[in-house]
This record gives sequence, C-alpha cells and structure tokens, in this order.
Amino acid sequence: MNRIETSFENLKKDIAAFYKPEVHHFITMNGVDLGNDEIEYQWFFCNYAFPSEITMFTAKANADKQVPSIKNSIVSAWLPEAELVDLLGVDIEDTQKGFVLELDSETAPLRKK
Amino acid sequence: MSTQYNIPVGAQHISLLEPLHFKFTTENEKIVKTEANVGYVHRGIEQACCSKFKFRQVSFVVGRVCGLCSISHTTCYSQVAEKLVKLDIPKRAKYLRMLVIELDRIHSHLLCLSHVAENSGFEALFMQTMRYREFSMELLEAVCGNRIQYDFSIVGGVSRDLRSDVAQSIIEKFKVFRPQLDELVEIYNSNWSLSLKNKGIGVLSRENAIRLNVVGPFARASGLEVDVRNETEDVLPWKEVGFEMITDTAGDVHARNMVRLREIYVSMKIIENIINGLPEGDLLVDTKAFPEGEAVNRIEAPRGELFYYAKGNKTQVLERLKIKAPTFSNIPAMVETFTNNEYASVPAIIGSYDPCLSCTSR
Amino acid sequence: MQVFLQLSVLMTRACHALQDKFQIEIMKTFFKTIGNLFRKPVTIPFPAVATYKPDDYRGLIVFDESLCIWCRRCETVCPPGAIVFSQNITDGKQTYHYSPYVCIYCQECVRTCPKQGCLTQSSEPGHPATKEKDVNNVWNKLFTDSLESRVAYAAEKKKQQAAAKANPPS
Repeated sequence: MNRIETSFENLKKDIAAFYKPEVHHFITMNGVDLGNDEIEYQWFFCNYAFPSEITMFTAKANADKQVPSIKNSIVSAWLPEAELVDLLGVDIEDTQKGFVLELDSETAPLRKK
Repeated sequence: MSTQYNIPVGAQHISLLEPLHFKFTTENEKIVKTEANVGYVHRGIEQACCSKFKFRQVSFVVGRVCGLCSISHTTCYSQVAEKLVKLDIPKRAKYLRMLVIELDRIHSHLLCLSHVAENSGFEALFMQTMRYREFSMELLEAVCGNRIQYDFSIVGGVSRDLRSDVAQSIIEKFKVFRPQLDELVEIYNSNWSLSLKNKGIGVLSRENAIRLNVVGPFARASGLEVDVRNETEDVLPWKEVGFEMITDTAGDVHARNMVRLREIYVSMKIIENIINGLPEGDLLVDTKAFPEGEAVNRIEAPRGELFYYAKGNKTQVLERLKIKAPTFSNIPAMVETFTNNEYASVPAIIGSYDPCLSCTSR
Repeated sequence: MQVFLQLSVLMTRACHALQDKFQIEIMKTFFKTIGNLFRKPVTIPFPAVATYKPDDYRGLIVFDESLCIWCRRCETVCPPGAIVFSQNITDGKQTYHYSPYVCIYCQECVRTCPKQGCLTQSSEPGHPATKEKDVNNVWNKLFTDSLESRVAYAAEKKKQQAAAKANPPS
C-alpha cells in the first residue's frame, strides 16, 4: 500500500493531478480519530490494471477545521463525505448533515469520548 | 409546459426488497431527477467492533452485518486480521473458504434474479427460480451447519471440515441442477413479454460506469472488466481453480440478468474443481500476537467489491474498523441511471441493481 | 402504388411470423405453469413431515462437570456472553451457567477448552421459550450477580489472608 501524505491546501490539486478515470478506481474515504481532537482522513484508490496496488492519500487535521471536498474531480464521492459528516461530527465543504443518522440522534458516535 | 410531480418510493414499498428511499421528479411519466436516502438500518456495528468486542470475536459480529453475503464479510475480516497479526493460513483452509464463497454466490444470484422477475410482473418465473434455489440452501446447511449465518471463517482458518459424503452430495445435486439452470437461461433470454420490461431499460453506458466507479455485476454488464477475483492473487488462489470473468456490453436490465446467470455456471465449475483437488492439511493455525499496524483487504461479494480497513494498537480491541459495502459504491450510479426511464419500470430497475442496505448503512 | 402494396404485404407477413415465434415461446411457459397445478407441491408439509437436518447441525452446548478444571477460558472467548461462572462465597466452589437463548452456536468455547470432551456441541436445536419465563431479564440478572459473587469471593479471600498474616496461628 502506498501512503502519500498531503494537506488540506494541496488536496484538491493533488487528487486532480493523480486521478485519471480510465486508470484509477476510487474506493472510499475514511476518517480515524487519533485522540486529542485530531482526525486523520484517508482517501483510497486502486489501479484497474494493477489492482493489488492500493494508494492512500492521508491528511491530519483538527476536528474543527473544514475539510475540502473532492466532488469536482470524483462525482461519486458525495456519499462517503455525507457519511463521515454524520458519524465523525466534522464539517466537509458543501455537505449537509442528516443523511445517515437522524438529526435528533446521538451525534458523532465514532469519536473517542 | 407540463407539470412536474414528486413521487416518493418510500422506505416501505410493496416492490422494494430493501429499505431504500427514492424521491422521483417525473414529467409525463418520464423521470427527470432522483434523490436517494439510505441509513434506515444503521446499527452502529463499526463502533461496537472497536469498543465492546475483542478482535477474535469481531468475525462473528461482522458476519451479522448482512444476511445474504455473510461469508464475504467474515472472510474479508479474517483476512485483514491475519494481516495485522502476520499469520499465514494453510492451503486447505483457503480452498474451503473459496468453496463456501462460491456456494453463497449461487444462492444470492438466484435470489436477485427471482426478484427481478417478480418486479417485472412474471410471478410464475419468480416461483420457479425460488424452487430451483432450494437445493443450495440445503447444501450450505450440510457444509456450514446453518442456512444463513455460517460462522465459517474465523481468524486463523475455518471452523469445520468438509466430509466426503457431503462433497459427493454436492456433485450429485449439481447434476440435477444443470438442466434446470439451462431451462431458466432459456426463459430469461428469449421470453418476449419479459423482454419488453427488461431490454433497453435502465441503461448505464461504459463511460458513465467508469466515471461513477461502479462495481460488481452492475459494472460487468456495461462492459467494464472489474472483478476482485481476477486481481488479487496474494490471498486466495482464484486463478488456480478456474475462474473466468463474464461481461456484457448492453448495460440494461437484461444484460445484468444474463451476467448473473452465466456467473452461476462459472461458480459450479469452480466448486467441482475445488472438490476434486482439495489439498490435505490443517484447518486452523493459532498465534499469541496482538494486532498492530494497519491493513486493508478487498474481496468479491456477490454484489461487488467489499473493502475492509483495520487498525490495531497492540491490545485485544481494535482501534478502527472501516467497512465499505459494494452497494455503497453503486448508489451514486443508481441515482443517475433512473433519468429518462419511465416510472413504471422503476421496480424492475431496482431489482436489477441488487441493493443490500444492511451492508450499506451498517 | 404497386410498390406500396407489396411492401405493406411483406411487412404484415413478417409481423405474423415473428408473432408466431413469440407465441410458441409464451405457450411453452404457459403450459408448464398450468402443468404445475397438477403436480405435488414442492414445499415440505411441516410439521407433518420432518424437515431436512444434517447430523452435524450446530446445536446446543453440553457441559461435563467431572472434567472441568475451572479455568474460565470459555467465558472469556464467548462472543455474545452466553456462559458465566458464579462462585460460592463460603467454599469457593464454582457453578457453570449457560443460556441457550443468547448462544450463537459458534463452537468457540468448544475449541478453546483445554480439556478434551468437557464441552461438546450436540445436534439438538434450541427450544423456544414462553413469555412468562422472561428469559432475557432473568439471564441479565444472573450474569451480573455471578460476576459480583466472584468479586465478593476474591475480596473475602484477601481479607482472610490478611487476617491470617496479622494473627499467625500459634
């Protein structure tokens, strides 16, 4: 698995440069709570021709910062982003709450208490 | 200027198999826009796996995410946990895992086909397909001990052995099933009234399939050659037992039916190869190590590519477990494919997507 | 005019031929479906006839008290928590409790037990219980009481050891 470290400022540029629709397959987006209000975000891709190579873009940030969205380059990314907004309680650009969890349920169940 | 109507196909509907919600905007019976809502069966499994259960018990929890592809979840989790504790399982265990995965694929594809037939209005074909499917449930009960929740793959190998009389009964029941499957292929392929509801309906072109990152038989019916069994050689040896990829080019409901029917033939061939060439060895290996580091794994469930990410922190309880179901990848494509179809074709199209919402909103 | 007439006759004949082919296909399926009315139903008339059950069906767990060494490993590995041991506060004797309503019949306890034959799995399926028995609440109370009894016994033993050390027997 190749890890590529990136940051919020370079995220849209890096992914737009890397992702070619005929070559790469976007798997999903993930978030891991590292404790102390710091969250590591991960974007997984694999290659149609050499699929055992999985590429992972990671970016660490505080839970209060707004995460940039990659919906311009990858159309089908709206669903993982909507899920992370509800389950981790973070803010992602252009994404509404209430898709996976109801608005009056317990918030951010995947964060460490 | 014609008026637009909003019609909900709600979480409970007589033709839906799963609790999905679509809100269609229609104009003169043609669908113009769609909005989807999932998350009706969110049970918090990822959070439970990282707080209440030890990492060896998680394989039993994860097998209850979905009722139809239970073996895919347990096997994928066992493989990712084995990567975290750096364990190599014996070859006999790998072959037995592949056997149950293929038996599961047969029963799941027949279930989806029968629902497509029912939603297209052909109830007699629905009953006939379900009647032919019953033998696979009895075989799974003989191999794994239970019809639905198999609990077959555990961290370190498999839990039960394949007896020789059960292996003989598998081969004999396949001899009875093959002419029945030929009869079903004949009806699904050439029945004129069924083709009015299936041909040219719900088309997804190859460019859109690439742009929307679809997986599973949904993608293979549009001409996109993507199958995890074709790819990963390091964990399960699919090419050794005779795997072939089935694709089609039309991308409509009829093409998806044909892809699923032909995959059942390939599954039967793989099972016969496994039974004839089963190597000797142990079923289970053990280790005292604790999981550390992070690992990913992918596997081909009957509906597409299943993806697991796990992170350990040297204790008995995992730090993070992420499950990505195949229907999760397909929902953006499902929403886009409804446009320009008639509202009356919606049940057949939803049946052909084969949604599994328990996996999606775990 | 002539060409138009000939073309229309040709098209009508083609339509009829195609319709005949479709009609044959539809008639075949139709007669097969009608024939199913006169055959025996495929479903098994349970409970008049027994259903198929393999002889290594995953059933209830059987415990042999004479072989147990009281290591409590089965309680540690059980995924849903269907086995619990309670301890008598006076003499420290442990008792085994098992709930067939919480059990998922996964055989983890059978695999973990270090003594061969102490825990085995039969092929008898679990039985349903009536509402009056209130199995879930009774089991939850038994579970918490058993854990508390072990804690109480350990505290009592520690107290007795401290008392024996402070006042050594002469």
